[in-house]
Amino acid sequence: MVIRVAAALTCLVIALVLRANGVGAIQLAIFAALAVVTVLLPASAAPALVIAFAAVVMVFADGHPLRLGVLLLIPLLHLVHITSALAAVVPVRAAVAVDALKAPARRFVIIQAIVLGLAAVARLLPDGPTPAPVEVLGLGACAVVLGIVALRI
Amino acid sequence: MRALAESRGAHWHATDALIRAALLGGGFVAAGALLHHAGLVLLGTPLLLSLMFARRPTGTPAVTVKPLPRTAEPGTAHTVAEVEPADTELVVVRLPGETKALAATTEPIPVEVRRDAWGPGVDLRLDHLFAGPDALHVYGPIVGVEHTRTVLPPLQYFPAGPLPPRAAGLVGAHRSPRPGDSTELRDIRAFQPGDRLRRIDWRISLRTGALHVRERHAEADAEIVLAIDTRSDVEQDVGRWAAVTYGTTTRPGGSLDRAVRTAASLAASHLRQGDRVSLVDLGRPQLNVRSGVGRRHLLRLRNQLVVCARSAGWAQRPFLPHVPYGSVIVLLSPFLDDAVSEIAIHAARRGHLVLAVDTLPQPLKPDTEEPWGEPAAELIAAEHRVRTKLMARHGVVITPW
Repeated sequence: MVIRVAAALTCLVIALVLRANGVGAIQLAIFAALAVVTVLLPASAAPALVIAFAAVVMVFADGHPLRLGVLLLIPLLHLVHITSALAAVVPVRAAVAVDALKAPARRFVIIQAIVLGLAAVARLLPDGPTPAPVEVLGLGACAVVLGIVALRI
Repeated sequence: MRALAESRGAHWHATDALIRAALLGGGFVAAGALLHHAGLVLLGTPLLLSLMFARRPTGTPAVTVKPLPRTAEPGTAHTVAEVEPADTELVVVRLPGETKALAATTEPIPVEVRRDAWGPGVDLRLDHLFAGPDALHVYGPIVGVEHTRTVLPPLQYFPAGPLPPRAAGLVGAHRSPRPGDSTELRDIRAFQPGDRLRRIDWRISLRTGALHVRERHAEADAEIVLAIDTRSDVEQDVGRWAAVTYGTTTRPGGSLDRAVRTAASLAASHLRQGDRVSLVDLGRPQLNVRSGVGRRHLLRLRNQLVVCARSAGWAQRPFLPHVPYGSVIVLLSPFLDDAVSEIAIHAARRGHLVLAVDTLPQPLKPDTEEPWGEPAAELIAAEHRVRTKLMARHGVVITPW
């Protein structure tokens, strides 16, 4: 139950962030429905839809690509992913030991530190068209990361 | 179906979370790179990094439990579950009464098993599941090994009352009709060759002018025959007599439950004072236990009572085998048919002391869903009263439970 409550609270905070960034009532209603299904059925496709919906709605809204709302969504969507993954394997009425959550929490902090560091670097980069060599380099880096991920799977 | 089968069981397999992280993480990063949107790339990066951090475990984790004794007394038992975590991060174990999600360590998990109801059953089955980092890979769920047990009927020691003695035997707690060495006077008679000199009563001998001896009673064991009627198991609510009960050997508080508890307690009380006790299953004679004494015999009787209750069911005619002369027959039955009351009457006519323990839960509650429920319950109760009165008239001592 603790993990599902954490997932529900995270979804609530995401909804508040979306509302603060001018997302309409219809989109929020859709998000709320997906969030409810996520909490009730964490092993379904609902968590993926919650993450995708919130990310797409926020990204295609007006504003700077790295505005505060987007930066807040980075840890929140990651948290939805982790809590849903754990809730899918832990029964609702199970007593969860605090020690069992220490390793996922430590990993979460490390990953967020890396990502927020990248966000800081991206924020410092100048706006405008990207030089072709840098773009090719970036795509190559993406391909390498995706290749490593594919090997992991 | 094949995909479903492969997604469970004792091997490592990916969860939906891994697919989600791969598709969304990869999709966001790729789309962000193509659309030149740094925010989208950053939203997908944590999911990809969690995949890179979460290495697929390779070991073979296991949960084993230290087995408990198969035959046990009612109460609470304690044991421990040993966890072999291999390289997992989280273990979810279904313990009796609760499910725990624990960090995968080698520390044993204490397990408390409550054994409130007597009878056979499964009291421990630790279903479990292991999860890797962020639950992206899982091992299981695995159905644990079932540990069966037989909880013996509980004992309640009854105070011992005077009982007729057994025909043979020179030691015991009850007075025998045969002469012996107890302190209780049996007779004063003329001296016969072979009598011991220390038994001569000198006062009477001087008064009568001829030698007389004092004869004393012997003390002997009693022979108790516990005859249990397993042909029916009924409860107070007549409407539930035909209902099937799941998860228990007998109906809790029903006639068979009462009979087994009483038989076990009577056996314990009489065996403690040295009497011989045997068990007769009126419905299934092949389950009878010969008479015996001692603690091991009590254990055998309690085990056999569980066996009798487990195989209980309707039999057309109850059968009481030949019992030694002078035995006490304790008949435990709800007395719902004439056949069992006839057995009690015939045994009383043969000279046995017959104690009938009436295990019918009273007063009967009529079936309220049936229009004839109340008259039917009254008819059953009236027939039961007639039977008990008839037995009492023939010398059977009747005790309500």
